[in-house]
Amino acid sequence: MTKIDVSDIQGFALKGYNFPHARYLLLELGEAQAARAFLLKLLDVITTGERWDVNKKPMSTVNIAFAYRGLIQLGLPLASLLSFPLEFQQGMRARSDILGDTGKNGPQNWDIVWRGSHVHAWLGVNARSPGALEDCCSDMMRLIAETRGARVLETQDACAISVGGKFSTQEHFGYTDGFGNPDFKGAERGYVPGQGKLDELGNWQPLATGEFLLGYADEAGELAAAPIPHLLGRNGTFMVYRKLHQNVAAYRSYLDEKGAQYAGGKEKLAAKFVGRWRDGTPLELSPDQPDAAIVADDDQNTNFTYGDDPAGTRCPLGAHIRRVHPRDSFGFNGGLVNRRRIMRRGLPYGEYIPEGQPVKDSDDRGIIFMVLNASIFRQFEFVQQQWIEYGNDAHQGNDKDLLLGNHEGRGKFVVQGTTDPKNPPFICGGLPNFVELRGGDYFFMPSLTALAMMATNSVDPR
Amino acid sequence: MGNVSGNTYGLTILSPIIEDNSLEICHSMELRWYLSRLPRDQGSPFAQLSSTYLARLVVMDDVVFVGLPACEEHLKSRYLVFETNFDGDLDTYLRRMATETREFVDAVWGHCAGFPGTGDVGAFVSYMKKCQVETTFFFADVNDGSVESTLEALRTQSELAHFMEKHQGTPAAELQREFGRFLERLRKTPSLPRGGDGSQDIPQERRPHD
Repeated sequence: MTKIDVSDIQGFALKGYNFPHARYLLLELGEAQAARAFLLKLLDVITTGERWDVNKKPMSTVNIAFAYRGLIQLGLPLASLLSFPLEFQQGMRARSDILGDTGKNGPQNWDIVWRGSHVHAWLGVNARSPGALEDCCSDMMRLIAETRGARVLETQDACAISVGGKFSTQEHFGYTDGFGNPDFKGAERGYVPGQGKLDELGNWQPLATGEFLLGYADEAGELAAAPIPHLLGRNGTFMVYRKLHQNVAAYRSYLDEKGAQYAGGKEKLAAKFVGRWRDGTPLELSPDQPDAAIVADDDQNTNFTYGDDPAGTRCPLGAHIRRVHPRDSFGFNGGLVNRRRIMRRGLPYGEYIPEGQPVKDSDDRGIIFMVLNASIFRQFEFVQQQWIEYGNDAHQGNDKDLLLGNHEGRGKFVVQGTTDPKNPPFICGGLPNFVELRGGDYFFMPSLTALAMMATNSVDPR
Repeated sequence: MGNVSGNTYGLTILSPIIEDNSLEICHSMELRWYLSRLPRDQGSPFAQLSSTYLARLVVMDDVVFVGLPACEEHLKSRYLVFETNFDGDLDTYLRRMATETREFVDAVWGHCAGFPGTGDVGAFVSYMKKCQVETTFFFADVNDGSVESTLEALRTQSELAHFMEKHQGTPAAELQREFGRFLERLRKTPSLPRGGDGSQDIPQERRPHD
């Protein structure tokens, strides 16, 4: 069993905190010396991956990650700067063509803060209550003011959607989200079948540590490209930050229109879009109706494969979860999939409007979507380019992911079906963009050791 | 046979590039410059050769020494590597190159040793065959179709998906009538222009969901 030093790894990289409140501070760093002084102070408060003992769960957490420009601002040695992977050096905006972030999703339409080159760092605060969030953010603002190490360009609040007075994992379209982050060796988590990779016997095993943390062997037995010296990269990871605006009105009216035509009904069509009923029940396990017992059972809610559904008549071949995590769909026990897995984090932002109430696409709402992976190029960018914005691997030709695809009004989604009148084949055409990109970037999330090296100006690439 | 997979021919040609130290700009540089400016879209010379699936032209200076324990080796000259996959037999394709893309062929192979020009098509075909090496392990993932039939099939698939989407839930008799009209329209659709599926030319309202 791979042993990892959880006290050296930022907690955000290891686990989803499942706290309902978050604020992401987008920072422009100050002069290198002041910025380092700020980091030195931060070291004491950064949340690590250490387990929380019973009743010791903190009220809030703090994590930090740096864009390439931030590392330049901090004065890292050139030899270290140049050793970072190319895609990270370039940043997400420069990669927009290959990511399909064009047209409505193009950088010219991003929030102003992401159009410039000033976001040097992402400071993520997660909290259990609004009060704890404010307290922690005040502490951060004080540190910033004391050290003059940074300037807050913008803050982005995010908050879990409350359903029936309780915080949920639901997003604005009404789907229960956040199932099935990949399990990897060394991550101390309860075993959840369906979250790692398939072995020859069809059992689920954790993925190699090096798929998510730098400095460890990945699924190919290799080390992902990481900065020098080794200590700068080890126990760190790369983060992709994407602000995804959701056109809730467009989604609801489209679902209403097509749901009225689809013999299986509106809710089943919503389930076909994603591969899960809106309550989270996987279509593979329960194709005809949602089943709360399955959703609540960790032995079931992500524990399924597509081998018995090769034609996609239960879960469509182009359904969102089948595209982005194809499991056994491509054969070879998932061997073509295991190096394309991503760890997801995120929370909705903006006001949630329940179904049936007036809602506008122009309202500011969506999801802050973050990805953690060892190689942005091999993992996130591949998933985005090949599985979201293209359909060939899923045998869906040029069709894009229904929810996230940059359709520009011309998208198509095929629901494979049977002769059962309640499960007929159905084609959804004229897809608009249900989700639009409003900005983001690529970040490096260093270990505590690396952060200390950066804070004390002792990064030595020799 | 290593050069053929189904109906598809995989051609590999290595033509030695002329070495002439008296020139200010060597032939390989001139060739690289010319190739770098060739259009890669429907204006590509290979778009004229409608039976081409894909083609690649590479200037190879030498083999790369990767360090010990590999031994250091060198090529006898610089080569132009030409790879192309196409329908049909080699002679026909080469003849078409010499006659339909004459200017391009002369501009490229004019930098290669022993090139006889395209004036004598037979001599050009012999020259290219002399430079040919066996492709080996060649596999064409095109279901024994042809470029034309594959493009037509893709267009038909796209049009059919559009038709199906528009006519979902239509009563059987009307659907049959509409389908008849659809087939008729498809039959009358002119053949695809060379070098592309023509999707850019289809008016927006009829454009398949690509």
